[in-house]
Amino acid sequence: MQGPDSGSTVSDDKSEGRSKFSLIHGTDLWLTLIILAVCGGLYYVTTGFDEVSQLLAQNLPPEWFPRLLIWTIVVLTLLLPIEHLFHARGKKHLDEDRRHRIKPMAMVTAGLLTLVVASMQWLGTFLAMIFLCVALPILWGERRLKVVLPFAIIFPTVVALLFTQVLKVYFEPGIFGLGLR
Amino acid sequence: MDVVLEGLALLIDPFNIFLILCGVLIGVLVGALPGLSSPIAVALLLPFTISLEPVPAIAMMAALYCAGTFGGSITAILINAPGAPPAVATAFDGYPMAKRGEAGRALGLAAVSSVSGGIISLVIFLLATPFLAQVALKFRPQEYFALAVFALSMLASISGKSSIRNLIAGAVGVLIGTVGIHLTTGVERFTFGNAEFSDGIHFVPVLIGLFAMSELLNQSQTLTVVYERITSVVVKLPSREDFKKIKWTILRSSGIGTFIGILPAEGSTIAAIIGYNEAKRWAKNKEDFGKGDPVGIAGPEAANNAATGGAMVPTLALGIPGSATTALILTALILHGFRPGPYLLRETPEFIYAIFGAMLIANFMFLAIGLAGAKFFARVTMIPRTLLWPAVFVFSLVGAYSYSSSIFDVWVMVIAGVVGFVMRRHGFGAAPLVMGLILGALVEESLSQSMILFDNNWFRFFESPIVVFFFILTLLGLFWPLLSLWVRKLFRREAPTTP
Repeated sequence: MQGPDSGSTVSDDKSEGRSKFSLIHGTDLWLTLIILAVCGGLYYVTTGFDEVSQLLAQNLPPEWFPRLLIWTIVVLTLLLPIEHLFHARGKKHLDEDRRHRIKPMAMVTAGLLTLVVASMQWLGTFLAMIFLCVALPILWGERRLKVVLPFAIIFPTVVALLFTQVLKVYFEPGIFGLGLR
Repeated sequence: MDVVLEGLALLIDPFNIFLILCGVLIGVLVGALPGLSSPIAVALLLPFTISLEPVPAIAMMAALYCAGTFGGSITAILINAPGAPPAVATAFDGYPMAKRGEAGRALGLAAVSSVSGGIISLVIFLLATPFLAQVALKFRPQEYFALAVFALSMLASISGKSSIRNLIAGAVGVLIGTVGIHLTTGVERFTFGNAEFSDGIHFVPVLIGLFAMSELLNQSQTLTVVYERITSVVVKLPSREDFKKIKWTILRSSGIGTFIGILPAEGSTIAAIIGYNEAKRWAKNKEDFGKGDPVGIAGPEAANNAATGGAMVPTLALGIPGSATTALILTALILHGFRPGPYLLRETPEFIYAIFGAMLIANFMFLAIGLAGAKFFARVTMIPRTLLWPAVFVFSLVGAYSYSSSIFDVWVMVIAGVVGFVMRRHGFGAAPLVMGLILGALVEESLSQSMILFDNNWFRFFESPIVVFFFILTLLGLFWPLLSLWVRKLFRREAPTTP
C-alpha cells in the first residue's frame, strides 16, 4: 500500500511550493485508476448477462441498472484526483488517515484472521475460536500466559455454548469432531 | 391511545425488560470503549437477535442504540478519548472540567442532558411517525424512488472526509445490492457461476466485516496508545445553578438533534457538533468554551441523544435509515419479516409504540446506570486491547457464520473487513456503503416499477409534485458542499467591508 506521497506525480508535500499549485493528487490518481479498472471489469461482466426478451425485461434489461451505477461511480471517481482543490484544508484533510504507511502488524493480523477462517472447516468452529484467542493476543504482544490461556478456553466455550445450546446454531465439528452438541 | 397501551403492554414482560437492560448495559459498555461503537455492537447483535421474537429483538437494539450514544461521553470526559464518534464534541469541555477535579459533575451533566435530549426526541418521534407514515401512504413507486435517491444524495453531507467519497461508497453499496438473481427477469447478475451468490450477498456478514473487522485491523495499528485516566469519580447530579445554565441549551440542542436525526443518512455525530456550535453561538461567555463550560457538555450530549429518536422516524415511517445504526435496525426489521415504511404503522402500529417504549425505558435505565456505574464504566477502558479485540473477532466470526451456518459468509465478512479497512484509510466511510446496500433494492425496484408505469418515459417523473420536491432536495443535497463553500467565500470576501 502506498503512502500519500509515494505515488505523487505533480503534487508532493516535500516541496511546499509545488504542492500549493499541484492539480493532481498522486495517491488519489492511483486510487482512481484502480477503481476505474474494477469498474471496467464489472462493466465487461454486465455484457455477459443473459439476454431476455423486451416483454420480460419490460424496458429495463437486467444490465441497465448495474451499468447506470457503474457509470455513476466512474464519473464520481474521475473527480478524486482533483478533489483536494475543493477542500479548504486541501490535501492535508484528505491525507489525515493515510499519512503513515499501513503498519506491518495490520497486515500480519489480517493474514492471521484469514488463516483462522481458512482453517475453520478443517479445525472446526470451536477450535478455530480457541486458536484465535491464543494467537491474536500473543501476536499483539500479550505475554501473560496466565491471562491468555484462561481467556482462550473460557471465552470461546461460553460463546460456543451460547450459540449451540441457546441459539441452536450448528458448528462445524472439524477433524476432532468438537461440535458441542 | 389503545394502540399505544397495546404497544407498551408488549414490552411489559420480565424477559423483554431484561433484554432492554442487557441492551443498555452493552450499549454503555460499547460506547465507553474507544474503537467500539453502537453500529459495531448492533452488527454483532444482529445474528443473536434473529432467533428472538421481533419486539424484544428490536427493543434490545434500540436500547443499545440510545445507551451507546451516551456511553461514549464517559470516556470522552474521563480520558479525553470519545468512546464513540458522537461524543467527540463532549470531550471539548467535558475533559477540561474533569481535569480540574469535577469529573463527577461533568458526567452528571452529560447523563441528564442525554436523557433530556432522548426523551424530547422520543416525544417528537411519537408525534411525527404517524404523520409521516400518513403522508407516505400516498407514495407510489415514483415517489419512493425519488425519496430513496434523495436519501442517497444525503450521503454527500454525511460526516466523513469527503462528499464525493461518500457518494462513491453509497453507489458501491447499491451495486453490491444488485448481486444475485434479478427479480424481474430471473437473470443472474455478478454471480460468477457461484451458487452462493445467487441469493445475493447477505447484509449481516458485510455489516460485521465493515464495522467490526475493519476496526479491529485499525486497532492493530494503535496498540501502543496509552490513555491518561481520571479515576477518582463521584458522579453528581447537576445543581440548580447548572440546570439554570443548561435548560435552554438542552431544549435547543434537542430540537436540532431530532431534526438532524430525521434527515436521512445524517446521524448523531453531526448533531453533536452542530449542538456544540449552537450552544457556543448562543452563549454569553464564549471564552469559557473549551475550558469546562457546563453548556459545552449539555449542547452536544442533548443533541446526539436526540438524534437517536429522530433517526428512528424515517427508519420506521419511510423505511429510509436515519443513521448507520438505524440502517442495521432496519436490516433486523427486514430479517424479522417486517416491511418498514407506512405499512408497518398501518398493519402493526403497536410494534412502533413498543419500540418507543423500549427507547423510553432505555433512557431512564442508562441515566441510573450511567450515574451509579460511571466509575465502573470508566474502568472498562482498562480491559487490555489484546484480549478485547480477539473477543470481538470471535463474535464477528460466529455472528457471520451463524446467519446461515455457512463458511462462505465468514469469507464475505473477512473480505468486507479488509475492504472496509482500506476504504476508511482513503476516506470512504462504511456507513454510506451500508446505506447504499440497504437502499439499493428499494431504488431498483421502485425505478423498475415506475418505468413500467411510465412506459419508459422519464419525463413523467416530473408529473408528481412530491417527486419534484425530492429531486430539488436531492440537487441541493448533492451540491450543498460546493454551495456552502461558495457562500462562505462570498461572506469572507465581504467581511472586511463590514464595520
